[in-house]
Amino acid sequence: MTKLMSIESLQNHRDFIKKTRTGQGKRLISLCSGSGCGAYGTPGVYDELIKELNRHGLQDEFDVKLTGCHGFCEKGPIMVIHPEGIFYSQLKKEHMAEIVEQTLKNGELVKARLFKIESTKKKVALEEDIPFYNLQERIVLGNNGLIEPTSIDDYISVNGYAALAKALSDMTPKDILDEISESKLRGRGGGGFPAGVKWKTCARFDAPRYVICNADEGDPGAYMDRSILEGNPHSVVEGMIIGALAIGSNQGYVYVRHEYPLAVKNLSLAIENAREYGLLGKKILGSDFDFDITISRGGGAFVCGESTALMASLEGKPGRPRAKYVHTVEKGFREGPTTLNNVETWANVPIIINKGADWYSGIGTEHSKGTKIFSLVGKVVNTGLVEVPMGTSLRTIIFDIGGGIAKGKKFKAVQTGGPSGGCIPEAHLDLGVDFDELSRVGSIMGSGGMIVMDQDTCMVEVARYFVEFLQDESCGQCNPCREGLKQMLDILTGICQGEGREGDIELLEELGSMIQKFSLCGLGTSAPNSVLSTIHYFRDEYEAHIRDKKCPAGVCKPLFHYEIDKDKCTGCTLCARKCPHQAITGTKKEPHILDQEKCIKCGICYDNCKFDAIVIK
Amino acid sequence: MITFKINGKEVQGEEGQYLLQVAEKYGIPIPTLCHHKALDPAGMCRICTVELFDGRRTKFVTACNYPIWEGMEIKTDTEAVHQGRKLIVESLIARCPDVPLLQNLAKQYHIDKPRFKTEADDCILCGLCVRMCERMGNSAINFTGRGVDLRIDTPFGLQSDVCMACGACASVCPTGHITLEKINNAFTRQNPFLIPSEYEMGLNGRKPVYVPYAQAVPNTPAIDRDVCMHFKTGGCGVCAEVCQMDAIDYGMKDETIEIDAGSVILAPGFTPFDPSKFDNYGYANHPNVMTAMEFERILSASGPTGGHLTRMSDHKEPKKVAWFQCVGSRDMNKCDNKYCSSVCCMYALKEAVIAKEHAGDDLDCAIFYMDMRTHGKDFERYYNRAQDQGIRFLRSRVHTVVPVHGSDDLKITYVTDSGESVDEIFDMIVLSIGLEISPEIVDMAKKLGIELTDGNFAKTSTFKPVETSREGVFVAGAFQGPKDIPQSVVDSSAAAGEAGALLANARNTLTKLPEVIPETNIIGERPRIGVFVCKCGTNIAGVVNVPNVRDYAATLPYVEYCSDNLYSCSQDTQDTMTQIIKANQLNRIVVAACTPKTHEPLFQETLINAGLNKYLFEMTNIRNHASWVHKDTPELATQKAKDLIRMAVSKVALMEPLEEAELQVNQVAMVIGGGISGLASANNLAQQGYEVHVIEKDKKLGGQANNLFHTYKNEDIAKELATLVNAVETNKNVHIHLNTTLENVDGFVGNFKSDLLCNKETSTLEHGVAVIATGAKGYVPDEYAYGKDDRILTSLELDKKFIQKDGSLKKLNSAVFIQCVGSREPDRPYCSRVCCTHSIDNALELKKLNPEMAVYILYRDIRTYGEREYKYQMAREAGIIFIRYDLDAKPGVQIKDGKLLISVTDHVLGLPVEIESDLLTLATAIVPNKDERLANFFKVPLNEDGFFVERHAKLGPSEFATDGVFLCGLAHYPKPIDEAIAHGQAAASRAVTLLAKEMVHTSGNVANINPMMCSSCGVCVSVCPYSAPAFATQGRFEGKAEINPVLCKGCGLCVASCRSGAIHLKGFDTNQIFAQIFAMNEAV
Repeated sequence: MTKLMSIESLQNHRDFIKKTRTGQGKRLISLCSGSGCGAYGTPGVYDELIKELNRHGLQDEFDVKLTGCHGFCEKGPIMVIHPEGIFYSQLKKEHMAEIVEQTLKNGELVKARLFKIESTKKKVALEEDIPFYNLQERIVLGNNGLIEPTSIDDYISVNGYAALAKALSDMTPKDILDEISESKLRGRGGGGFPAGVKWKTCARFDAPRYVICNADEGDPGAYMDRSILEGNPHSVVEGMIIGALAIGSNQGYVYVRHEYPLAVKNLSLAIENAREYGLLGKKILGSDFDFDITISRGGGAFVCGESTALMASLEGKPGRPRAKYVHTVEKGFREGPTTLNNVETWANVPIIINKGADWYSGIGTEHSKGTKIFSLVGKVVNTGLVEVPMGTSLRTIIFDIGGGIAKGKKFKAVQTGGPSGGCIPEAHLDLGVDFDELSRVGSIMGSGGMIVMDQDTCMVEVARYFVEFLQDESCGQCNPCREGLKQMLDILTGICQGEGREGDIELLEELGSMIQKFSLCGLGTSAPNSVLSTIHYFRDEYEAHIRDKKCPAGVCKPLFHYEIDKDKCTGCTLCARKCPHQAITGTKKEPHILDQEKCIKCGICYDNCKFDAIVIK
Repeated sequence: MITFKINGKEVQGEEGQYLLQVAEKYGIPIPTLCHHKALDPAGMCRICTVELFDGRRTKFVTACNYPIWEGMEIKTDTEAVHQGRKLIVESLIARCPDVPLLQNLAKQYHIDKPRFKTEADDCILCGLCVRMCERMGNSAINFTGRGVDLRIDTPFGLQSDVCMACGACASVCPTGHITLEKINNAFTRQNPFLIPSEYEMGLNGRKPVYVPYAQAVPNTPAIDRDVCMHFKTGGCGVCAEVCQMDAIDYGMKDETIEIDAGSVILAPGFTPFDPSKFDNYGYANHPNVMTAMEFERILSASGPTGGHLTRMSDHKEPKKVAWFQCVGSRDMNKCDNKYCSSVCCMYALKEAVIAKEHAGDDLDCAIFYMDMRTHGKDFERYYNRAQDQGIRFLRSRVHTVVPVHGSDDLKITYVTDSGESVDEIFDMIVLSIGLEISPEIVDMAKKLGIELTDGNFAKTSTFKPVETSREGVFVAGAFQGPKDIPQSVVDSSAAAGEAGALLANARNTLTKLPEVIPETNIIGERPRIGVFVCKCGTNIAGVVNVPNVRDYAATLPYVEYCSDNLYSCSQDTQDTMTQIIKANQLNRIVVAACTPKTHEPLFQETLINAGLNKYLFEMTNIRNHASWVHKDTPELATQKAKDLIRMAVSKVALMEPLEEAELQVNQVAMVIGGGISGLASANNLAQQGYEVHVIEKDKKLGGQANNLFHTYKNEDIAKELATLVNAVETNKNVHIHLNTTLENVDGFVGNFKSDLLCNKETSTLEHGVAVIATGAKGYVPDEYAYGKDDRILTSLELDKKFIQKDGSLKKLNSAVFIQCVGSREPDRPYCSRVCCTHSIDNALELKKLNPEMAVYILYRDIRTYGEREYKYQMAREAGIIFIRYDLDAKPGVQIKDGKLLISVTDHVLGLPVEIESDLLTLATAIVPNKDERLANFFKVPLNEDGFFVERHAKLGPSEFATDGVFLCGLAHYPKPIDEAIAHGQAAASRAVTLLAKEMVHTSGNVANINPMMCSSCGVCVSVCPYSAPAFATQGRFEGKAEINPVLCKGCGLCVASCRSGAIHLKGFDTNQIFAQIFAMNEAV
């Protein structure tokens, strides 16, 4: 590949690609090979698809792309046939013969593979008709389904690097800074700090400046950044180049988890290809601007997602945060002015440059602009990545896009922002999600994790779980976080084991308040959120644990037992057969009996009983 | 300057400072756990969290690392801050319940018992050790693990090569989690060691930056480059950073300085003998076997145990302690030191007595010795007292120390006087180590080309005791021979005097005269007081809120100027103070700093330089009296400092300029006594250029030396004496008055008038100083049949026979010497010091005349101290028989059938023996002249034995407490010729310190009598120890008391005693004292 020595040559190359690709009249089959779909079996499906196409002699008519994540991970593997947008989900390789035969060859839909809308029981054929998609605004994730992440040409073909070209040719660094400022883009890493302000401040300090991409996505269950890096790495690279150009930096770093091998692979390739094209390195696109990116792999410590800890780790030191009284934009990595943003923020940058601040700031709420990708997981029907404009209500996200609570159970709470986020109860479901609204109800945006909990979730146990996670992940250097979380965990564990005492709740509140105020870094200051928010919204559950020694959700084993409701039990014997400890006995068609001595409270009977005859007491 | 608010009060700090630094400056308390001045702040413990209002909202920030900015508002003790801190302490005390630091904090925050489960940790993970290690340039330890598993450790928990065992981590650890032991066992593969404190004899450690000991001169810290981490790693540099005077210079190099000198005095001292080369005592291996020098430190209140007598191995209080004498002395078997170290018997005695004082009478002290050598002035009395106190004295040389298995005790076996072998177990054994000249000194001597003795001491002759074999090179102290403090002090004065004599012509040729600044007349001026408050670095400012005190002082009456100084005593501050005094026309000065004992003269000098009378000054001690004693209660210390300054200000306002009486010193010396010591004194004075009158009551100079044969070094005394007499007689500065007695003395220092009586003619001699060298005489015994047989002689009589070359001596078949005749007896309980050597010398002389002669010396302890010991050895080698007797079984002398029979119990056989002898020599005591008349003339005291009492037994052996009167020779105490000569030279040397001044200034703080109020009762005259008050004999106030300001020491005794209130002490007048008291009352 020859280097692109000027902006014109980039444009020429794009034209060339577009011509050669579309000029042959091939149809695009987009097969999701994101981590979710991949795990469900995309590689096998792909092989079978190619085999079937070859068998039918259709190989030259279709361009099959293994793309990045489409977001609808619950239903993977997913195939979208363009240009119609025919959407097949939950594919197995056995389905390929039928699909190639009927749809690709004969243009008929395979009904069995179409998506069924749960609420209406209606089947829809096109991606755009699926509520999961049609309520989203996928400006960042959109291209994931169209391009192969390993192909720079694919990216260029969807207007990739056009923003860079624009920034280099039509804009001064100040213009870029102004554009980003005017877009009111806020950092997607969680803090929501205005990116424009950050960049402008950084550009003021006169020393070698650095740009860093924080790809140390550590929240359990959150994988937005992973999907972007895996599915569209060039969007991040391009964003970083523009950022570097704006602040005047020549060196960038991507700090990415070692546990994201595909992301590392795709990103490495993207950087390598960009370098070959002259989009990174010396004299980018023939300009006087030099910039390169180095990938640094993190060991997986949650705290290394904190910017100062990340920089320490990047410098080769233990990943521990420091006080940010002198901001990293002034003294960050290697004591130099540093602009650090997370993956999603960087991916937003080319879009803003391409479409303009006005367009961008037209999306979202007054103080939170653009879209936000959420990782919608938990007890929701449609788990996956959801990109919606800021301000979309929780109810829309969970019930309309997410399809509501699985198995018809009752919604209890949603936790946003990862382990340090708070749990929001049903009463706040109509909240329009943005940075400020979430913090108003005691939670955080975080990096966009969203865990939905149903009626069977014990909120005390949830709090205990997150505190345990954070205690494990605390760097331990500051007393409030290390000692405070240890004591909180100790108290919560006690409550869950039925050893809660009067005053525990107040002590938890006292500890939580101290940890929030006195901790050194963001991990500590946000760590008590889950406890404080659950106490705030679900105090009765705590009180039930402590005073009545009961766990209403039936989660904390010492605090409940199962009983069989004789009136409801039909004597179907299912429970007795499923019970791993032979605790349930009884004759057919007679109410069964549960031996409390033998019961280990595994809940299998409860989950399996079709007559709600197993009850939690 | 950045201005902002703390707790609503406006404060100022400098750009780049952290909040904590400013808060500290203003004395606003903020607790810290992970903060250390030498380290960059880490903000880890979070206990210094405060509330910040930044104009929009309240935030919580840590004071230690929050950079200050203009206009911010800080609150350090809000409810939230207090609650948070309390909770942090509560969680930490749960983690480490036994750490005193946290227990104190818990108490402070009223936490009785933490609400959390307690653990048994002792590390609060403050990270001070980690950061200190990094600062040391090492980073051998760090945090390992994460969260609750965070620990301080080396990489992989392995002992590390990186750790240099500098101990910096342990030194900053606030909880005791890191100890030297831990460093040794867990951190380092190097060999860690405590830097042994040389002063503490290695019993405890010192820092790489150290002042050798509290009284070291100069009292300036030094850096030990061999152990300083900066010189090892390039790291640290803390001392340079904290030194506010920028006095640390790592680039300093050793310099060679050439000094053009006319004379050199060698006073390099000795090295304590190192007993670790003896395997039999186990000193190197057993901590409870220690040297006497180490034991000194154990007894010292400033020592490693704070004066508490405990043994090193287990800190147990010992019940039984043994001393082994002659370790490294009088020993040619295991070492080469055949001399006696002279001082060890006495110091062992002293240690045993003091040990009993510290530990109580139950302490069993046993001293194992060969001969007790307590030959110094008042030493024998001390020895007797020690025996009365129950200290055991066992004449036995113990061979081996055996550790008792399973305990830290020590077993020894010794043989008693009766020949019995006894096992005894002791808790501690103290080795009375001897004095040695170090190889470096021997080397230096070689380079200087001076001769040494067998014992490596500088070789001197008896008549020139401080002169080495090289002209112009003198020696003083233990390098001249093993000796104790008074003798060393005598030597040093003597050496100075001899060097002074040699360089007399050059005196005052290199002197620079200071510029005299005219004194401003301030009489009648309103007081304009300047107050200077000293921070003394952090010595005062670390506790006392100095800015606050300074501001307070400015509000006091008459205070016109007030400032604080970092170090008031530094030269640049002195210069600044001079400028300030002048510029502000201050006329009274108060310095609130350290002790006037050491620093008052310095500040008075500053006043003089500013043209003020130096008595317009008051110094108040806010260091010792405030910051030191109240270091835990800074607020009280600050309040007390204010009180002290208020008192000082109230007094200084009443101060008036005082005059110092000035008197001329008559440049003439009078030496009373023409014996060897007086002659030596006169000779030196004359050589130094002063006119000397020697008063000798006899018709001949030389005194007792005329009767002596030769010295123990075999020098002919008659010949040497003649040389000395000649030197004196031929010196034109010397006037000799033979057959002359002293009849009366009038006057005082610098202006004595003495009446001399010679051949019934009286003359008056005016002189500035007097040297008493009246000597002593031989005891005339009435025991041992003395006088009943002409074969019984005294030592002096035997000398006479030698001098006369008496032929009969050669023919004797046997000779006996009896020692301690008249000495060490209840009536005369002192040792005459010279007799043992003298008898041995004469015994050897007899052997020389007739090697077949049977010679016996009957003794109690042989006291051939120093290198005299060689003579004792020679005597034994020559076959002289030494038989020891006890005071309660003295030898018997009988003349039976013309035979001279001497009976004594042989100490080895345990049986009585009878010796038939042809000659019995009685080693008779030296008895003082007990000249009370002379003592009265000069108002100098005699001790109970009749010897004169010197100014100070150790430090003032050659002068009296009375100014202008000096002492030497046997009048002080029995001594051999070399010591007598050195003493004479020393007295002369001390006298010259006065004569050389030409003028004497007395203090302005003297008593003054208002004659109008004096009732002539005479109480003042009788109570004054210095004879300063006297009744006026003429003039208007005849009969009233008046005070001679020259004699007055300002003690105030007369002031307090005067019933008429007629006497006032200048500078401490009643109104001034009361002003202070009233000022204090206000504070109550």
